[in-house]
Amino acid sequence: MATLRRLREVPRHLLVCEKSNFGHDKSRHRHLVETHYHNYRVSILIPECGILSKELKNLVMETGPYYFVKNLPLHELITHDFINTFVKKGSCCALTYNTNIDEDNTVALLPDGKLILSLDKDTYEETGLQGRPSQYSGRKIMKFSAEESTMMSYFSNYQIQEHQPKIALSTVTELQCPVLQSSALRGAPEAACSAPELLDWLGAVFSHAELNNEPNNFISTYCCPQPSTVLAKAYLCTITGFILPEKICLLLEQLCHYFDEPKLAPWVTLSVQGFADSPVSWRENEHGFRKGGEHLYNFVIFNNQDYWLQMAVGANDDCPP
Amino acid sequence: MMWSALEKMPAPATTYERIVYKNPSEHHYMKVCLEFQDRGVGLNAAQFRQLLISALKDLFGEVDAALPLDILTYEEKTLSAILRICSSGLVKLWSSLTLLGSYKGKKCAFRVIQVSPFLLALSGNSRELVLD
Repeated sequence: MATLRRLREVPRHLLVCEKSNFGHDKSRHRHLVETHYHNYRVSILIPECGILSKELKNLVMETGPYYFVKNLPLHELITHDFINTFVKKGSCCALTYNTNIDEDNTVALLPDGKLILSLDKDTYEETGLQGRPSQYSGRKIMKFSAEESTMMSYFSNYQIQEHQPKIALSTVTELQCPVLQSSALRGAPEAACSAPELLDWLGAVFSHAELNNEPNNFISTYCCPQPSTVLAKAYLCTITGFILPEKICLLLEQLCHYFDEPKLAPWVTLSVQGFADSPVSWRENEHGFRKGGEHLYNFVIFNNQDYWLQMAVGANDDCPP
Repeated sequence: MMWSALEKMPAPATTYERIVYKNPSEHHYMKVCLEFQDRGVGLNAAQFRQLLISALKDLFGEVDAALPLDILTYEEKTLSAILRICSSGLVKLWSSLTLLGSYKGKKCAFRVIQVSPFLLALSGNSRELVLD
């Protein structure tokens, strides 16, 4: 029986759903965006929109650049020069490239100057430094404060490349879309969909899944949560790369201003996915891969400045703040 | 689309509320790719689904071959798909895919690229970021 039960089990996952209003003094939206450091993908969905405004398009085009430095010794990140040139300015993030958090040694630099090392046992013992065991694996985590020209010239002795985030813009027509009420996070029977249903639907839209299958369809029975409505069109924008939290804050602010003028759209969404191999999710909360490495969040911005915020993590993660 | 004047009036600001859901997802999502040893083997979506069902049946029997399984997206050119399975069936589906070795006598293997209870996580894969 125990074996049968195990066959039906899945790793634990958490979804935090919050609702609030951007006008509330204690709204934490800014803080939660600013403390989610290593962002891989930002997606925007705007219902009933065929073209991005000039301001939003400019912000989207200016989310980069980011830099790739090969074979950089770790000690370069803790030199006085590096700290004064980049870390003290407060907007510097770094993450080791092509290292899997569940297999390899990984290093991350946070904007507040903390250097996080996630190491396997052997490397940890070689360093001789003080750390603590990982909550979720046999690894060791170390955190250091790196007690702030450009990147290209600073690392000119190493192979450094400048990259721009990839941007994909598209419109979809005749899109089935859930009906939401900003005050009803859990949804309302026959009247509005819940926050988890909305998050699921967003995933289907950005994966380009068919949303209108018949219940007896052989291939897929997936359909849009009910109640739903049909949008004549919707604008999708995705930005992929290494994106700073500050840039995401600017995007969020601009999307809040989307409703300064009357719009057909009842709400817009901004979704952010973190790097699966970052050693942290929010702030210094430990993040691990387990089966998916997901740590993502999504804003639903309503036309009355109410918002929903969904934060999702997998098994080897603390509960989002 | 017609909106009434009442619907256009914004509602008053909502109050703060926080809900923490533990294991809320009834489904898990898998991004998979089928690789054949020899090139030139094609399957349409229906054949692909039939292959998944027979993999489940071979390992777990008739009952589990009827587990609710959807192919949300399918690309015939690359034989890659996003699957949706009820969460209680994830381990069975995953192990069936792992142990599938051939299709119509041709050697093949499933590559599981991403798995998540959140479909939104499958729209991007940071492990696919290539910089050099």
